[in-house]
Amino acid sequence: MLVASDLVRRYGDLTAVDGVSFHIDPGETYGLLGPNGAGKTTTISIIAGLIPAHSGTVTVAGQPMGPREVDAKRSIGLVPQDLAIYPELSARENLAFFGRLQGMRGKPLTRRIDEVLDLIALSDRAKDATKEFSGGMKRRLNIGIGLLHAPTLLILDEPTVGVDPQSRNAILESVEALSGGGMAVLYTTHYMEEAERLCDRIAIIDSGRIQAEGTRGELITLTGGLDYIRLTGEGQIEAAATALRGLDAVVQVVADRRLLTLTVRDAPAAVAGVVTTATAAGMTLGEVEIVRPDLESVFLHLTGKALRD
Amino acid sequence: MRQLWTMTASDLRQRVRDRSVFIFGLVVPLALMFVFNLTIGSTNDVALTPITVSVSVPAGDQLAATLVAALGQVDAFPITVDEVSADEAGARVRAGKAQLAVVVPDGFGEAVRQGRPAVVDVTEGNGSKIETQIALSVMQGVLDHLSASAVVVNAGVRSGVAQARLGALAEQAATVMPTVNLTEGKASSEQLSPSGALVAGQAGLFLLFTVGFGVLGLVAEREQGTMARLRSMPMRPGLIVAAKGLVSYILGVVATTVLLTVGSRFFDVSFGSPAAVAVLVLCAVAAATSLMFIIARVARTAEQANVAQSILALVLGVAGGAFFPLGATGLAGRVLDLNPIAAFTRGLGITSGGGGLADIGAPVAIMLGFAVFGLAVSRLVPDRGRDL
Repeated sequence: MLVASDLVRRYGDLTAVDGVSFHIDPGETYGLLGPNGAGKTTTISIIAGLIPAHSGTVTVAGQPMGPREVDAKRSIGLVPQDLAIYPELSARENLAFFGRLQGMRGKPLTRRIDEVLDLIALSDRAKDATKEFSGGMKRRLNIGIGLLHAPTLLILDEPTVGVDPQSRNAILESVEALSGGGMAVLYTTHYMEEAERLCDRIAIIDSGRIQAEGTRGELITLTGGLDYIRLTGEGQIEAAATALRGLDAVVQVVADRRLLTLTVRDAPAAVAGVVTTATAAGMTLGEVEIVRPDLESVFLHLTGKALRD
Repeated sequence: MRQLWTMTASDLRQRVRDRSVFIFGLVVPLALMFVFNLTIGSTNDVALTPITVSVSVPAGDQLAATLVAALGQVDAFPITVDEVSADEAGARVRAGKAQLAVVVPDGFGEAVRQGRPAVVDVTEGNGSKIETQIALSVMQGVLDHLSASAVVVNAGVRSGVAQARLGALAEQAATVMPTVNLTEGKASSEQLSPSGALVAGQAGLFLLFTVGFGVLGLVAEREQGTMARLRSMPMRPGLIVAAKGLVSYILGVVATTVLLTVGSRFFDVSFGSPAAVAVLVLCAVAAATSLMFIIARVARTAEQANVAQSILALVLGVAGGAFFPLGATGLAGRVLDLNPIAAFTRGLGITSGGGGLADIGAPVAIMLGFAVFGLAVSRLVPDRGRDL
């Protein structure tokens, strides 16, 4: 459905996307997981034909994609990170406007608008100006517009940013339902749990490069079976980090203000020594947490920094 | 084409709903027209009222009669001439029964014929107004003409002309029509009346604000995130820009037409041939829209775009005579001539003076040239928003 090959995009001296390649099969949900500034949105902008790549190619449903390519754009539905809706228009008018730009007309358009309004649970507010909507309702409409013309590839750029937990869950359920319908989905996020929940395959992206790609299970094996211990506290954090690096069970220590994240072998066995050493170094512990390997662990393992950085 | 119209119609619907285009495109300029007309217009559009002039003229003096008769030829306002005695002339002015007294002394005509000095006494009433000044100016003109005969007589005496011939020469000099005349030419008829200039200038000034509601929407689309979605639609990116330009053009034409129509009705101004005025409006809107494309290209935010738009609108509007007539010579004058708002008001001056389509070539060429220049520049300047 989508093939991106060796994409490069530069802004002055900064290479925002540096040799990104991946593909998405029909019915597959593919995640781009990375922190802010990793190059996710720039990658999506190239794939959606908003900006050209300085090198590399994108094909969607076999058609070359670029800013001036019309045919390939018929196959995609873009849900931008910003709320791409018109506040003065109602939900129905927004859907009708973008539907017409997609070439839809008449009764098929009206019928499809009704279906989408049902899907995003906005049928009862269809005639209200969207400037009156809550943030969650706007987010749902933002997704609904991307779905309207039943694209074969739906591109969602961090669709849950700034959304309350209830709306967020509703959005995630909607996306889960879409992949069941055979639509290919490209989903970018910096929330590990969203990528884990939604995506069949995940690419971990940082500094414009894909660091690793695979299913959740495949990615976690990259950590070598290592566990994580998170220590939160006050006092001599740096001194504690230095002391902990001397323990045999500790592979890596990352200090972030009041938080120490330790990569360790066999966390349950190592935790007692870790606590004793940190306390002896002058750190007053507030919280100790053992974390089994997850995508955040993978990101930490691959980049040496936390996903939220 | 359908996509172009879909975007244009949707944009127009939103502009109508948020009402700001009505406020800045119609309400504010009309309000300003009224305010300025009350201040500037009241000083320029003076309504002249009738006056009474008491005159004392020696019986049988033809030249003195010529002087008084000139007052009756003023057609700008009625002048009632009361012939009274010399004493009564001044008394009537002091009593407020006349605004001006003119006393021509005995022997006035004879003195003029012989080239001797003669004095005409005038008395203005209290609160003398412009009508009195006009009457005095008219009489001064006649006196200047008559004084020419004194010069002729003196020249004749020095040249040895016979005494019998001098009187005839003096009378001929006093009554002959001037050989050099001022004729009101086309340049004069291009001048709009003060009210007309006000309506045209304000329409031109606010045109630059109105067209911003279309093209500068590109910056707003960028800020609110809809530009990304529009650019992902199956259409050429140029259609988005074309739609915004079309919105600007429609808004500009409608607002300017309404302003000129309402302004001309309220302030009793006629701009002449509707076809010629329509051509001027179309060209002015094209020029103003091209300017907005430059702003949309260089502005990163809507705030930057609004500031740039306001500065350009005020500079071009003021230079185009939106608030008061502006004139310059030399290079500055030629630069001012290239201002599309000035060309627009100048064109309206031509049409209001009776000019038609064939007479507005110069302002039309300036405005269309400006439009082409603006569009060319908008393609050359760096696209800081990366949308156009």
